[in-house]
Amino acid sequence: MNGSPGGRRILVAMSGGVDSSVAAAMLVEAGHDVVGATMKTFCYGGDAAESRKTCCGLEGIRDARTVADRLEIPHYVFDVEKEFARDVIDDFVAEYGRGRTPNPCVRCNSNTKFRDLLRRGQVLGCDGVASGHYVRLDRGAGTPRLLRGADRSKDQSYFLWGLPADLLGLLHFPLGNLTKAEVRARARGLGLVTADKPESQEICFVPTGDYRDLLAGRLPTTHPALSPGAIVDPRGRVLGRHGGYSGFTVGQRKGIGGGRSERYHVLEIRPETREVVVGPRHLLEVAGVVVGDLNWLAPPPEPGRNLRVQVRYRSPALACTVEALRREEVELSFLEPARAVAPGQSGVFFDGERVVGGGRVRRVRGARR
Amino acid sequence: MNPTTRPIYLDHAATTPVRPEVAEAMAPALAEDFGNPSSGHAWGRRARRRLEEARAALAAALGVRPDEVVFTRGGTESDNLAVLGRVRHDLARAVPPHVVTSAVEHPAVLEAAGRAAREGAAHTVVGFDAGVLDLDALEAALRTRPSLVSCMWVNNETGLVLPIAEIGAACRRHGIPLHSDAVQAVGKLPVGRGNAAVDLLTVTGHKIYGPKGTGALVARDFRTLRPLHFGGGQERGLRPGTEDVAGAAGLAEAVRLAVAEAPAEAARLGALRDEVEAGLLSRIPGARVNAGGLRRAPHILSLGIPEADSDTLLAALDASGVAASGGSACASGSNAPSRTLAALDPEDGAASLRLSFGRLTRGRDATRIVRTVAEAVERTRALAAS
Repeated sequence: MNGSPGGRRILVAMSGGVDSSVAAAMLVEAGHDVVGATMKTFCYGGDAAESRKTCCGLEGIRDARTVADRLEIPHYVFDVEKEFARDVIDDFVAEYGRGRTPNPCVRCNSNTKFRDLLRRGQVLGCDGVASGHYVRLDRGAGTPRLLRGADRSKDQSYFLWGLPADLLGLLHFPLGNLTKAEVRARARGLGLVTADKPESQEICFVPTGDYRDLLAGRLPTTHPALSPGAIVDPRGRVLGRHGGYSGFTVGQRKGIGGGRSERYHVLEIRPETREVVVGPRHLLEVAGVVVGDLNWLAPPPEPGRNLRVQVRYRSPALACTVEALRREEVELSFLEPARAVAPGQSGVFFDGERVVGGGRVRRVRGARR
Repeated sequence: MNPTTRPIYLDHAATTPVRPEVAEAMAPALAEDFGNPSSGHAWGRRARRRLEEARAALAAALGVRPDEVVFTRGGTESDNLAVLGRVRHDLARAVPPHVVTSAVEHPAVLEAAGRAAREGAAHTVVGFDAGVLDLDALEAALRTRPSLVSCMWVNNETGLVLPIAEIGAACRRHGIPLHSDAVQAVGKLPVGRGNAAVDLLTVTGHKIYGPKGTGALVARDFRTLRPLHFGGGQERGLRPGTEDVAGAAGLAEAVRLAVAEAPAEAARLGALRDEVEAGLLSRIPGARVNAGGLRRAPHILSLGIPEADSDTLLAALDASGVAASGGSACASGSNAPSRTLAALDPEDGAASLRLSFGRLTRGRDATRIVRTVAEAVERTRALAAS
């Protein structure tokens, strides 16, 4: 089954970006028998030929194919539109509908991408799946440990807490010890077409770049999340109106009309009354957080233990104490007040570099209002 | 898993290799008689002669006159020109254009009709009932006096043979021109504008061991077409641009050989197809033949395989050294749900697998094909069940 001495047959998830391109190249260099795969998650619809719009889905597939051809590895496209819509897009829409701020990439990594690729890889004789995420996997004795990427500015462990623990041992993250600059340099050295491709920050299924367009197309027009409501201060005084609470995220500053609003932040979204509560920055502080929909990649911490929790991508993990651990949720209090914790975002638990587990922020505790 | 044995190419409906006779026919026009056919000097004359010889040979093979042949750069161009060229002709005369197509046309026709619709044309799609083209609906559409009917000769995904003679007769009764994309029919069925009531015919080289990027539109009357390209007036102004003389020579030779060999090759491929079909139906529980029980071209076997996933099955086949396709080669590389299969059987949700046979397929491959495909299906189904 193994194509080369000492090598394994590994399926690499190739998005068409520089990271997964280099991940594939590194596995080839390491002597593995590599198969590339791109998941078609979303159809950009309409008439691609006619609109001439750069369709990032198709473009990504094309680039991934070009890189795979250059590396002389097979490359396949797997259509997962149906599963992706059900597991990722529907959840994304529903979460915004509930006034929360989802992380769709987490959903995809947790439920769709790796599990699906591992299953398909089996049919192709692959015994592992790799991706271009900046995280490390420590395969010492016992359960493999998922660690932050060496390049802290690119570390993507925040998006991978939902990986099924039993699959960890089958995964490979070749970029974990590299910096982005090193990855680009390797891509250039290999002459990969993706070497200087700009970073994609957009959500892959939001072609316009504005998620509200997607919501408008998928929620009924009468849905409260798309209906006008009041912008109020913490005391309930009406400061203005908004066009639908789904356009807001806790912590954000822009998008609140009126002169004095410059320094105001979204403190809370109240779907039941369609109110968006705003206030000065210091009122964003909360004392704790309740995280649900849990997944553990290490033994869960006992109540009373201290650990760190990261509640936003690209923000530091905050020291906290486990107040209560239930089957469904964990209650944490911050050692120092935290700011702008948005329900729906991932709360990821760290013990040093190691990802202990994570979940979704259900609610905050001890808000100053 | 490692293909230690010879890989098997079962995607002749996607494209084919250039056969030696064709390469030989092209060679003189590439380096020696390289002139521009529009030039007045000796080099130009030699190139022009080669071009016109190719036109005459192609015309003879299809039973038409040389002045009924316009060389294009492929099947897509020919289809676009037939549909959109006709619509633009009507638009220019302030006649409301109306295109009628079957529901299973190639995107080169359907997308051209879509474009035509955006330019102001009406587009009527004639559907199917249990795999049979709805001739009553066609008749109703014809009564509205459309600009053009476009109906392929052989469907590329399933091999289904469309009733071109009947369609042609109906069109003729109403005096409506019929275009047929015959790229999957040439070399497999008796095709020619001469023997059917077809006014416009699309042919291409690369499906019949000719060069890619070559094609022709055969037309009874070019005056009802407007060009889609603009330039030096070559090919009656319908496909301007310096002619691909070598391509034309290759196309002509490929068509000539395909037509000449069609009876014997069709019989050989049909027998091979039948053997593979019977073997796979007995080895794969639940498998069905798409367009089964209907008249099919001999080189295409399209199977519906429930409880399997097309993309994974094709990847598994590739890993086992068998090149097949899901229905048609799509730009995304994924196997998008087929419009053809949806039109033929809207209830069906099975994975589709197209095996297409040709000169690279040998009779003794049948056993190995059956075994490899059946095993890949088993592995893929195990995945679906896990």
